[in-house]
Amino acid sequence: MRSITKLSLVVAALVLTGPALQAQTNNASITATASVQTPINVVGAQQLSFGNVFPGVNKTVAATDLSNAGRFDVTGQASTPVTLSFTLPATLSSGGNTMPIVSFTGVYALLATQVGGFLFAPAAGANPTLSGTGALFVWVGAQVQPATNQVAGVYTASVTMTVVY
Amino acid sequence: MKCKRWIVIGAMLLGVPLLAQGKPLTVTGIRGVTFGAVLPGVPRVVLRTDPANSGQFDIKGPKSNVLLSFVLPLTMTGPAGAQMPLIFGASDGGFSQTQSIGSQVGFDPKQPFTATLSNSGRGSVFLGATANPATNQRAGGYTGTIILNVTVLP
Repeated sequence: MRSITKLSLVVAALVLTGPALQAQTNNASITATASVQTPINVVGAQQLSFGNVFPGVNKTVAATDLSNAGRFDVTGQASTPVTLSFTLPATLSSGGNTMPIVSFTGVYALLATQVGGFLFAPAAGANPTLSGTGALFVWVGAQVQPATNQVAGVYTASVTMTVVY
Repeated sequence: MKCKRWIVIGAMLLGVPLLAQGKPLTVTGIRGVTFGAVLPGVPRVVLRTDPANSGQFDIKGPKSNVLLSFVLPLTMTGPAGAQMPLIFGASDGGFSQTQSIGSQVGFDPKQPFTATLSNSGRGSVFLGATANPATNQRAGGYTGTIILNVTVLP
């Protein structure tokens, strides 16, 4: 009888403390998902070319000049708005000599023929939308202003266009 | 003597299930965190209050305090193993005793959080996050697994 009581107490103690010692734990999972669209790609497709320039004679290349205007080709996610911004030089350089470049103009279009294009000011940037195939073409023109005593030579500078969604 | 012994043993056997009979704890993943279409270089934020895109877990158990702790991925994995950073802000976790997305208490999902289940032993956890694609992020589908561990506190 005494042994039964002792056994009962031990078991009862285990029963009472058991659940308190065993914490209930459970877990579940979910998934984070995203669909990343096509990254933007920009190619400098054509240089802005002023050709021969004479001292004291300004020369302008219009953005609509398909042969001489600078052209950037953009590809990315179809039918998606993008923002264009430019870093424009103030001068062209030839060794230690410089020549002013001013009055930048721009055109963007969904076709390489410039059909249906829009004029814009590169200094202010633009917010076009990529075509249904994810394409955009951007042309840049400007004017160079050689001095009357401009030193002869080949003058160059970089025009940088940045495109972001 | 023999009869008493059987009574004691019987009582003990019955006692175990009766004492352990608190409501079982269940955790269910209801909805994933959905970023949808993401543009390279453009962070995409999903708020925990977004009824369509935030993550949701439902909890059922005994009416008591529970400890919530997440296992959060640092990135989502995409095509050819490409990684895209996934960020959880200090208030991207939300707990609702009423299981209503409109009535949440915010918390930092990166830290363990103690919540109290409702009188009926229920609660929901909502989760927001930010996907941070690089400008040259590879296009395609990305996924990551989020685990919620729940422990009933004594």
